[in-house]
Amino acid sequence: MAEGTGRLGRRLNRILLLLPYAIQHPGTTVQELSKRFDIPESELINDLNLVFLCGLPGYGPGDLIDVEFQDDRIHVRMADYFSAPLRLTPAEGLALYAGGQAIAELPSMEQADSLRRALQKLGLALGAGSGSEDGAAIKVSLEGGVVRHMQVLQQALAQGRRVVIEYVSSAAPEPTTRTVEPWGLVATKGRWYLVGMDLLRNDERMFRVDRMKASRITAEPAPPAPADFDPERYRGAFIGGDELPVVTLEISPEAARWFDDYYPVGASKELSDGWREIRLASSRERWAAMVVLKLGPQVRNVRPGSVWSLARTLAMSIAARHTDVTG
Amino acid sequence: MRRIERLINLIAALLDGRRPLTAAEIRERIAGYESDSIDAFRRTFERDKAELRDMGIPIETVKDDNDTDAYIIPPNKYYMPDLDLQPDEVAALKLASDAILGVGEQAGSGLQKLSVYASTDDSSAPRVLWNADVAAEQPLLGPLLTALLGRHRVAFDYETADGVPSSRRVEPYGLVHRRGNWYLVGLDMDREAPRSFRVSRIAGPVIEIAGSYEIPSDFDVDAHANVEAWEVGESDGDVATVRFDAALRWWPEQNMPGASMSEGPDGSVEVEMPIARVDALVTWAIGFGEEVEILAPREARRALVEHLTPLLADG
Repeated sequence: MAEGTGRLGRRLNRILLLLPYAIQHPGTTVQELSKRFDIPESELINDLNLVFLCGLPGYGPGDLIDVEFQDDRIHVRMADYFSAPLRLTPAEGLALYAGGQAIAELPSMEQADSLRRALQKLGLALGAGSGSEDGAAIKVSLEGGVVRHMQVLQQALAQGRRVVIEYVSSAAPEPTTRTVEPWGLVATKGRWYLVGMDLLRNDERMFRVDRMKASRITAEPAPPAPADFDPERYRGAFIGGDELPVVTLEISPEAARWFDDYYPVGASKELSDGWREIRLASSRERWAAMVVLKLGPQVRNVRPGSVWSLARTLAMSIAARHTDVTG
Repeated sequence: MRRIERLINLIAALLDGRRPLTAAEIRERIAGYESDSIDAFRRTFERDKAELRDMGIPIETVKDDNDTDAYIIPPNKYYMPDLDLQPDEVAALKLASDAILGVGEQAGSGLQKLSVYASTDDSSAPRVLWNADVAAEQPLLGPLLTALLGRHRVAFDYETADGVPSSRRVEPYGLVHRRGNWYLVGLDMDREAPRSFRVSRIAGPVIEIAGSYEIPSDFDVDAHANVEAWEVGESDGDVATVRFDAALRWWPEQNMPGASMSEGPDGSVEVEMPIARVDALVTWAIGFGEEVEILAPREARRALVEHLTPLLADG
């Protein structure tokens, strides 16, 4: 969303935050401001030195903002018009409100009550003026957060223990039992996933929580997530790299309108007849075959051939179940 | 004088002003504009205004007594009200803001604004072990949220799931995030009925149109938040029956707690669900593979076979 994201905008935003804080908390220190707003002390002092050249028309001693350093203590005066921060932008309000709702839904989150109270106040502020329960008009609904599994997983994360799950993946129809060292829970594309080290495959994996048939915490300790564990990496609900085999398929213009919203598309190009060639990175043939089945008439030229034949085999058996014998 | 100093002076003068200032007055009085020629001043002032508005600073244009444009920042639109957040509430918001993927920076700067008033303890926050992606980067959410909160009607071009383009006029009632997508729920003014619009299918821009409205007191955004794709559509009233074989019966039992279920043959379970869109039901059922069968309606069974036919015919 549009924001003052340039250097100048960022600095100005920061100053418009520093001033109200310093005015509301007279005698605050450089160290406190630096820590609170996460800026080096030298930059902070530059900001304050700049502010003190500014003020109201006239620009005499009674018009300029007064910044006083007393040892380490800071006093800002003559700037009552900057005594409150700027309102939240829509982007800020939505990020906090929607994100907060998603987190508040987590079962057994100790801070859920505090968070709900905060969101209620925030909702009122977002709709300021109307006085109604505006907050309720924004709703985040996440699926697959099956309460009993989420409780087990959160507990395992908090205590640093391995979990054992019975899992049905889209890659294989039979449930498998996995022992996982949990790294984190990630909600993306509207669902909750467990991310961790899968000891069966000896590799990192994402597990959809709604596809867990059973889960239990074990007594065995699990190491904490690796230092470079970055949840941003899992946003596409998919872990992949260049090393994964690629499935290529062509999808119709109709399917092209929604496909990207649901699947991790690596690269795509438009063909002369309006269809799109899509490259999906996937190590799992059955998963790719299921994508093909869902596309049905909207897909053609599926490669490699093994994915295509698997899709055909599955299609035959599903269609057979739905074919009525008419006489 | 540096630009940032001039911008601070401009905000101060327009925010503290007892009355709106015209461009001529701004040029004359506000430090930083004085030495420019009229043309240069105009360009500089336009650029400054745009920069500040981008940051969310509400510079409003009004007419003065001589019918000349004049500028003011209304304090009630600039200032963040004191929400009286308690330390535990700030701490919980901090936890949430650390957990938000994609728009963490916006959440963080919003949180800093909110916590200016609050006294917080600085005890170190626990490491966040869960993270939520609510796809809030979607650029049309900003204007839609602004319209919703201000109760402004909006108009936009919209493409339906079937790819049919249309122009819509809507009274926004709510924004719902479901299955990774945002939906605008509101009254479709031309169809005179509530509708959901997937935000990613709105072809921008979103234009605010004249007229105000109120959200009906019995409107329940939750009812729109939890519907499945096959329940969304222009018709309703149909019910489908879907059988999950014994091996997969745990799935509806675990994940569809509200649905009506009955025992089927061989340990299977049969789930009844309301549907509006047969095509969405078909792809949803296919996603489970061979262990799920649509029993009714027949139309859905036929549609499923038809959907798979191109895969069977070839080769």
